Amino acid sequence: MILEIVLAMAKIVLVIGFCLNFSAIAVWADRRQSAMIQHRVGPNRAVIYLPSIVIAGVLAAPGFLIGAAAALGLGMAPRPEAALDRMGLSLQLLVFFAWFNLVVLSWRVHRNGALNAFETAVGRNLPRVYFYGGMAAHVVVILFTMALNRQFQSGGFSNRAVFMSSQLVAGLFGAFLAASGVYAAMRLPKGKIGIRLAGTLHGIADAVKMMFKEDFVPPNADKLLHALGPIIAMFPVLVVMAVTPFGDALCFADVNKNAVFEWRELLHPMPLMARDGICEGHSVRMQIADLNVGILYLFAIASTGIIGAAIAGWASDNKFSLLGGLRAASQMISYEVAMGLSVMGLLLIFSTLRLGKMVDWQNDNAWGIFVQPLAFCMFLAAAMAETKRVPFDQPEGESEIVAGYFLEYSGFKFGMFMAGEYVEVLTSSALIVTLFFGGYTLPFLFSDGLHVSIGDTLLFDYRMNHVAVTVIQVLTFFSKVLFFAWFQIFFRWTLPRFRYDQLMKFGWTKLLPLAIVNLVITAIGVVAIDNAGPGFHNVLKVLGQLSHLVVAVCIFALPVGLVWLMLQPTSNSTFIKSSATRFAAAAGGVKPTEMQA
Amino acid sequence: MSKPSNNLTWTKPKGAPFTPKVVARPQRDLEVQSYLPAITKGLAQTMSAFFKNTKEMVLGQKKDPVLEGMSWGINTISYPEEKRPYPERFRGLHRLTIRDDGSARCVACLCCSTACPAQCIHIEAAEYPEGDKRHGYERFPKVFVIDELRCIFCGFCVEACPVDAIRMDTGKHPVPYDSREQFIYGRDLMMSFTGRQGERETENARHEPGDVTHPGLDREHAH
Repeated sequence: MILEIVLAMAKIVLVIGFCLNFSAIAVWADRRQSAMIQHRVGPNRAVIYLPSIVIAGVLAAPGFLIGAAAALGLGMAPRPEAALDRMGLSLQLLVFFAWFNLVVLSWRVHRNGALNAFETAVGRNLPRVYFYGGMAAHVVVILFTMALNRQFQSGGFSNRAVFMSSQLVAGLFGAFLAASGVYAAMRLPKGKIGIRLAGTLHGIADAVKMMFKEDFVPPNADKLLHALGPIIAMFPVLVVMAVTPFGDALCFADVNKNAVFEWRELLHPMPLMARDGICEGHSVRMQIADLNVGILYLFAIASTGIIGAAIAGWASDNKFSLLGGLRAASQMISYEVAMGLSVMGLLLIFSTLRLGKMVDWQNDNAWGIFVQPLAFCMFLAAAMAETKRVPFDQPEGESEIVAGYFLEYSGFKFGMFMAGEYVEVLTSSALIVTLFFGGYTLPFLFSDGLHVSIGDTLLFDYRMNHVAVTVIQVLTFFSKVLFFAWFQIFFRWTLPRFRYDQLMKFGWTKLLPLAIVNLVITAIGVVAIDNAGPGFHNVLKVLGQLSHLVVAVCIFALPVGLVWLMLQPTSNSTFIKSSATRFAAAAGGVKPTEMQA
Repeated sequence: MSKPSNNLTWTKPKGAPFTPKVVARPQRDLEVQSYLPAITKGLAQTMSAFFKNTKEMVLGQKKDPVLEGMSWGINTISYPEEKRPYPERFRGLHRLTIRDDGSARCVACLCCSTACPAQCIHIEAAEYPEGDKRHGYERFPKVFVIDELRCIFCGFCVEACPVDAIRMDTGKHPVPYDSREQFIYGRDLMMSFTGRQGERETENARHEPGDVTHPGLDREHAH
């Protein structure tokens, strides 16, 4: 019993920690996007100075730790299959760090010159050469590991040989990491080094600033409600994450066969799972609460967020605030209707209210966006209106009503509104991911590994460890959420704000009727498909698998597109117009120099 | 003088009927009404700027904000790591040039403080000690201070100096301090400043009394 409570607490800490930390990161991402779109440098001034010895330690320590762990035999896999998995992983990581370090080193050499003969040799090739080499090495390692697996399954190696070589490769990886860490540490300049982390420290600086600012309450304000507003605005957006599944169940073996989950059974996760994912032992869902009314709970709680904004506007004793609060209330209620109706079609198709079941359906058939593309557009619009962000930020439209409902808030209370808004972006993108983008699943990834099949023909088959699958799923979910949060934030820098009457017209006369039409068509479609013959069902199944294939190709295309972008040459042109420019040209341009004074 | 011809098209001929220009109403078809194509176009535009600039920042390909300031991309000068070079004849902080032996070139003639319209230069002249070669020949500044807050950087002191002892070619502007006292620059501080190329000696070569190159009168060869 205590174990269950502890596990639930751990999940809550994970989810809340994710939301709060990444709301700060989202603030940074917001500023960074605006800067990059408007050709500015953006947030990069916040800095923490650390002595170089500390940074040297951070660079060198992980390698020594991994090497020591491998030497001591920690993480010694109990089964030879796991040892083989670990060997493959160590090899991939070794290759990754090798090419990554070479790319960075070659880039540094090209920029700042070589320090010794080794660096001269590295600098003979452009960084991209190492990148291509690394990609080729990754493919070779994959083929090599698969060959090893086949050889092992046909009884080619003894278990002892597998353990020893797995240990050796892990040790090699640790040694390489340690060596490159020590080399990087030696290259560090002496003295203090400023750490900026690409400007993410601005989030911390902002939070500290807000905590220490004056907490101003207007003299005639309702003190209690004024304090209550931000709490009510913040609470529901955190609570809705309770029903969102961020991974499939993690299954632990029932070692002593007494059906009671004990502490030491945490050390025995199931090695392999069946494809349907049914757990024989103790199952720990990667979800805080698996409610049978899942999505209804979510809508019910999320809509109470309005009250926070409305109360804040009312309690501030300011007419602009009151207008903002009223705008927030009416806008959110209007879009709540459209939002609920737009997912009705999906509920008909999934025929469940549990979010976990919805994700399972999408994994078995097709992602929600392929089934209900129109609903996705409507849901995205409604969800963005719910988060009160541009282009739906009339409640705080600063050109009209100064700052709307949080005009009279300052210090940490304002910080709570702001954090709440960004957490809301994260939770609404978690909802979008769960409903339309397959939640924590990846195409063709099942509980027992990768199975790519079209129709009944199996194209690719790769069995994977249960823990590895679960870790991949959890990472997938959070990456998808971050991607969609990033995407939602992007609208802010693209679209201008609606006028208030346009907003209402859009909600009531466009979204709502469209949602109803979508619902009716979907209902007819669902009945038609239910009554169609098995041949049609087979066609649908193949179509679903094809949609998975499209997604998989898109996922593989992402890194390729990234590399293509990285290799784009820069096209800069020099205009020498003023005397200052002439002088800059003579001085070799505006060069970074040491800080003076 | 020719009469204006009647086939001018930019004015309405007298008596001609008024023909209004017909402007087409904006198309409000499905493409416009659904917002989606316009949103996609807008996102494509912002995202292309975002990715291009992010890539150039990450890969250290940010272009020179002065030289390539007119081209597409980030033009911010990250002061103080990056600085726009001041023009060649920029009048910066004052420096006092030195002689070969390291003493100040200044002879404490008070020309600069006299010329100074802001009256920010204060000099206390002193005699070289008895027995020094320069004793009785010229003096040196015991105290030479400039209040950089009062200074208007007009350069009159440089013009006034007969011996090239004060220059404003450091290429630096006064740095911020937190009290007024810190802006009062003393003799030794100004002697430690260098020109842009790191030079500290005077360019007006000095012929000390007693040198064979010394052209004029000095203590030994007076009258």
